[in-house]
Amino acid sequence: MIDALQNLTIAWFDPSLLMLVALGTFAGIYVGAIPGLSVTMAVSILISFTFSWDVYEALSLMVGIYMGGVYGGSRTAILLNIPGAPSAIATALDGYPLAQKGLAGEAIGLSTTMSAVGGLLGILVLAFAAPAVSEFALTFQPRDYMLLAILGILLVGSLSGESLTKGIFAGALGLLIGTVGLDPLTAQERFTFGVVELWGGISFVAVMIGMFGVAEALIQLRELEMAAVKQTISRIVPRWSDVRKYLPLSLQTSAIGVLIGALPGTGGDIAALMAYDHAKRVTKDPDVPFGEGAKEGLVAPETANNAAIGGAFIPMITLGIPGDAVTAIIIGALFIHGLNPGPMLMIEKPDMFWFIVGALLLANVFMLIFGLTGIRIFTRIVEMPRAVLIPLILMLSIVGAFAVNNSITDVYWMLGFGILGYFMKLYGYQVGPVILGVILSRLIDENWRRAIISDQESLPRLFQGIVTSPLSLVLFIAVVLIFVSQTPLWAALMKPFRTKRTPPPDA
Amino acid sequence: MNRKLMGAVVAAILAAAPALAEFPEKDLQGIVMWGAGGSTDTVMRSVTPHAEEVLGSDVIIQNMTGGVGAIATKYVFAQKPDGYTLLLGAENPQLYKVMGLGELDYSDFIPINVLARGVPVIVANNDAPFDTFTEMVDYVSAHPNEVKFGTTGPGGLPSTVTAMLSSKLELPVTEVPYDGDGPAITALQSGAIHVVPVVMGVAIEHVKAGRVKPIALIDVEPNPLMPDLPPITEEYPDFATYLPWGPFFGVFVKKGTPDEAVEKLKEAFAAGAENQEFKDLMAARGYSIMNISGDEAVQFLEKYQSVTSWLVHDAGIAKTSPEEFDIPRP
Repeated sequence: MIDALQNLTIAWFDPSLLMLVALGTFAGIYVGAIPGLSVTMAVSILISFTFSWDVYEALSLMVGIYMGGVYGGSRTAILLNIPGAPSAIATALDGYPLAQKGLAGEAIGLSTTMSAVGGLLGILVLAFAAPAVSEFALTFQPRDYMLLAILGILLVGSLSGESLTKGIFAGALGLLIGTVGLDPLTAQERFTFGVVELWGGISFVAVMIGMFGVAEALIQLRELEMAAVKQTISRIVPRWSDVRKYLPLSLQTSAIGVLIGALPGTGGDIAALMAYDHAKRVTKDPDVPFGEGAKEGLVAPETANNAAIGGAFIPMITLGIPGDAVTAIIIGALFIHGLNPGPMLMIEKPDMFWFIVGALLLANVFMLIFGLTGIRIFTRIVEMPRAVLIPLILMLSIVGAFAVNNSITDVYWMLGFGILGYFMKLYGYQVGPVILGVILSRLIDENWRRAIISDQESLPRLFQGIVTSPLSLVLFIAVVLIFVSQTPLWAALMKPFRTKRTPPPDA
Repeated sequence: MNRKLMGAVVAAILAAAPALAEFPEKDLQGIVMWGAGGSTDTVMRSVTPHAEEVLGSDVIIQNMTGGVGAIATKYVFAQKPDGYTLLLGAENPQLYKVMGLGELDYSDFIPINVLARGVPVIVANNDAPFDTFTEMVDYVSAHPNEVKFGTTGPGGLPSTVTAMLSSKLELPVTEVPYDGDGPAITALQSGAIHVVPVVMGVAIEHVKAGRVKPIALIDVEPNPLMPDLPPITEEYPDFATYLPWGPFFGVFVKKGTPDEAVEKLKEAFAAGAENQEFKDLMAARGYSIMNISGDEAVQFLEKYQSVTSWLVHDAGIAKTSPEEFDIPRP
């Protein structure tokens, strides 16, 4: 125990490690805030960069970047409606409306604080329940991933805005975009028309930057003369009563974040969207409707995506299995530094485990400090004249799309999807479901096929598997309930019980 | 005195001039054909710093994924053959022709160094009702299609090893594809699949921890990392025609690169592969260091291509027969 405490605090009392975590977190916030510059990319560059360093030093920097980067994505999401990272997509849904009301400062303050709360909860689960959680994550079979992905697809109901039909169309478009490229299971070409550049599929980040960044800029061009929203920055640190009010919700959404983060193959982006949907479902009477600046809609994804960090480290440290793309690279880094990441790491080198937990805690604190300072300067961005802001957004989008794979093709895709997104927005189609579809396309496609192949291509056998496994059964029932609750049938069934309350607007 | 000094300066400049023009004059670009954090990526990122010391310039490593590495291969082939763009690759291009992934393979490149080779092992879920290779073969033939083998798609290591086994044995199994060997070994522990052939480096830590059990070593001699596991040829000498076989990692430049650059790069990466730190790192993950270049490397690459192309062709997963490309049968 004392050993653990010693290792936990290594980074806290060593000035150079402390500085590296701080530097990493600071840099991470900006890497995360700029669309196209991703944490994954930053960490993989750091592998070469920190080659000759001590492993603790390298890890300090990587952990900082990871923590800061996941949080940083919310900045541009709130201020410009351009999520800096996929995990901040849900943040834009209610964060941007807040900024348009002149409450950007408050929104950033709240998202920072809640990110820290989520981050902390994720780290606590990592510290105290890692082995149990990773064993649980390992029990997920292909059919469970499939059910989880279906659950995810049902979020379309939450993201479609005024028209569910348009939402379903947008979601289906996303699923279709996601299938382009070499089939991940059989390497058959799908929708590639013989073009080699399409083998790798359409870059999901290019779609995201186009649909959010460029489409948003084009929409704003229509109102070039409109004055920028004046921001009132009276309050940055949220009221204690606010934090307390959202604590029960943030506990639930953090739990979603940790679990989705711990599952190999799913990460903060899906966690944040699921948390957003959960918040929408459990919040009976929001002060402001969702989509118009509900604070619950900001709290849920921000807690979940930061909680997913602790979650992603769980299978990585206990089993050497990455929980997401970033932890996959950190495994590579450990290997290069002469360690053997795997199930023996916790037994042979428990100090590594506690060191990572300690560094994460530290990064969480720095995130809070750096996040809450400098908000005034940031909110000025929104107050910039449109004639300056819009070219800036377009430039950022182009650089970002190029940076993902250093590919000019991605820039063209990004611009194409930007124009498509503009027309979609113009005709009342939300772009959120498109991104959701792209994210989930591969998960649902691969796992459905894996599940059915595993059961020798027999549907009855697959179904038998679902009803005989408690986990699959719970997921299946959740899918059915959530689906039915979005149909008119449910409203009719529930009528006798709902004499006072009006049904939620999305039902 | 002054004149002497001038003379010395002039002489020094004259001596330095050809040195300045020597390869490399600027930073190099290294294109990794697999994603960051994967095995190809980590091997390349660990050898490159040692090679940089000899080169005296930096190698900027960049991951270019997609198309089983074909996009990176095509990219490097499209660059000028000046030695400044390196293809940091794995075994995959040797199958592009038969798998219909393009017209390129390593014969379009000069091997700078084939760094190391992986040794395949077959591992099974701890609850699987067999402990040895023979028991597994017996169980599989008694329960056709019930045992689930993990693969990483056609042409990947698991499917090739499975094809190798089925070429000599009756092996009716259900193959379930995964995104890579990492996800496959995860699925093995969850019981979603029962058996998966993987490269030793992927399995070793899980075997050590007792989370999965090793069933067979696909090599001709025992491996120091798993000394108790007999090589498959001990009981099934037939497999010797294919072995030693295994995925490899290598550094390549486009054909037509000037000799001067090729020689310098060979020297640099040979030094990198000789580095003790790199050797220890590779040994711990169960990779055999090869450190070969020139004709030796070309021969190794051709044998790999011949064995693997015909295996996938005979297993019915190739799109075009190796005959079309004059790839000889092993």
